[in-house]
Amino acid sequence: MSISTEMKPATTSSTLTEVTYGSPVYNQIMTWMIREARLLDHRQLDEWQTYLAEDLIYKVPVRLTRRVQGFDTEFSDVGHMDDDYGSMTARVQRLTGTKSAWAEDPASRVRRFVTNVSVWETDIPGEYKVSSYLLLTRNRADARDYKQLSAERNDRLRWNGERYLLAHRIVLIDQVVLGMPNLAIFL
Amino acid sequence: MRIDHLSKFQDDPVSHLMDLENREVSVAALYDPDLYELEMERIFAKAWLLLGHDSEIPKVGDYVVRLMGEDQVIVARAADNQVHVSLNVCPHRAMHVCIADSGNTRVHKCIYHGWAFRPDGSFIGAPIEKEKMHGEIKSKEQLGLKQARVATLGGLVFATFNHDGPSLDDWLGEMKFYYEMLFCRTDNGLEVLGPPQRLTIDANWKTAGEQSACDGFHTLTLHGSLLEGGAMAGEENTEHESAPAMYGVNVSGNGHSLRCIPADTSWAMMAGKTHPGMTDDERLEMMPPPGITRELLPQVRRNLTAEQLHVFAKAPPVVGGMFPNVNILFVYAPLRDGTLGSALVLHSINPKGVDKFEWVTYFFTEKDASPEVKHMMRAAAAQLTGTSGIIEQDDSDTWPHMSEASRGFMGRTETLKYQAILGENRPADWPNKARVYSGFSKDDAQWNWWLAYHELMTSKA
Repeated sequence: MSISTEMKPATTSSTLTEVTYGSPVYNQIMTWMIREARLLDHRQLDEWQTYLAEDLIYKVPVRLTRRVQGFDTEFSDVGHMDDDYGSMTARVQRLTGTKSAWAEDPASRVRRFVTNVSVWETDIPGEYKVSSYLLLTRNRADARDYKQLSAERNDRLRWNGERYLLAHRIVLIDQVVLGMPNLAIFL
Repeated sequence: MRIDHLSKFQDDPVSHLMDLENREVSVAALYDPDLYELEMERIFAKAWLLLGHDSEIPKVGDYVVRLMGEDQVIVARAADNQVHVSLNVCPHRAMHVCIADSGNTRVHKCIYHGWAFRPDGSFIGAPIEKEKMHGEIKSKEQLGLKQARVATLGGLVFATFNHDGPSLDDWLGEMKFYYEMLFCRTDNGLEVLGPPQRLTIDANWKTAGEQSACDGFHTLTLHGSLLEGGAMAGEENTEHESAPAMYGVNVSGNGHSLRCIPADTSWAMMAGKTHPGMTDDERLEMMPPPGITRELLPQVRRNLTAEQLHVFAKAPPVVGGMFPNVNILFVYAPLRDGTLGSALVLHSINPKGVDKFEWVTYFFTEKDASPEVKHMMRAAAAQLTGTSGIIEQDDSDTWPHMSEASRGFMGRTETLKYQAILGENRPADWPNKARVYSGFSKDDAQWNWWLAYHELMTSKA
């Protein structure tokens, strides 16, 4: 099964030039990441949608347990999510514009903790590869426990002259068998 | 439960849970841990269970690890090019022999003490052959991995540990006539689009199991967000009266069932027009059933019988299940560019304790579909069904509520009711295959699911 570079966990051995931690571009992107998490946690999905590029690719590949020699090929072409801009806006519309999107009504209480952010320059000026770690906790109704999800997100962010837009996101989840019953939330 | 109660329970496990006359099932059936253990023995060790598709393991030595009840099994293609299903438990010390989800190997060697097995499960030997570390009491022939019976339908791999029970053909009975329209309609058949999605749902397996048996009714409310979007042809606020997709033909036999939705309804829903008075061939050309393209129609005409073609053209089966734990969605998927896509999806519902199950979701396509169609179907399936599907995310949020309700002492005194009865009625031109319920989708097929459950649970053989 072919694995694109975006579906491999990011490493520091990338041939791309890394943007220095604390530099202006790094800080802009870190600020974007924090804002994005805040918008999603607060269910401001219509505004979050304005963070998406119209050529968006958004995937959450299915993972398999393989022998250690195959650790780099644990991700498949099939996704838990396999989306583009149109399907993401349709998802947002269902969640915000209908009266019976029951998977998120009542809404989950979600926290997205985003850390370990690395940024690389790409061949395209103003476009950056960004890798981040995501720890997500989700609580619903009167559940005593939290459903948790940890993942690495490999993104491509594009500066459009005014703001960064998410053009590409591949979410590499650490679970083969997800512990939460659905992904009615965005990662 | 004390031993004397337990033996009485085994003689008569469900009469206190099922009211056959009034078509009710006690909510306690979702809660009782003793009942669950008996289900593992009488249903999951007896039924034919779906384990995947032979396109997942095309080469000799290919294997995937799957579930039969709570047992892991190795589904492998052996040197004889046949698919074999072996219990993934080393006969030596009960270690899992396979520790990856999939791969290719001619020798499955247990990492604990090194006992080795072929892909067909037969025992090769233990390390240090001259010391006879497998002993001299049992022969090598007796020390293979425990074997399940295997049968396929359209490449779908089914297995059972019931070596003396019915064949897969007998198990499916007359419903095979309808399943062939979904699984055996093209020259080269179906193929998987990749490994299945897997996730855990905190609910008893029967919550999803009974729903798979043609619960058309829940669509109106639980999937109301689709109605609001107009996907079921109802007008907002009046959809409960007008939604034509609720009218169709439910077919049911041996606990298996399918909902057949008239092509005229689908046309009205998807294209906003109807075409009465067309021939079967014209109907198929006008809007090929989900997963089929016009290019594939010559193959469909070759592979289905005239009777099957008539049903396939008039009202193709689109959703349903296979008793006890398979859910089928072979559905249209309206695409945003205005064209009509489709998604071919199978779920298996795998019990993981009385209040948990693992939901496994396979995406399919016809092997002979174009790469573009396959790409579209992969995305459409993920967007509509499974983990993040805008249809099914509402289902997976509902089932845990039912299990939670069953924990309440009073909750367990309630019943699941299957009292909306349509009754058998077969349209004049409909083949005399299985039980046929034409009209508004009611509880008939779901009650038949419970009758199949009752039959297995009360059968000790």
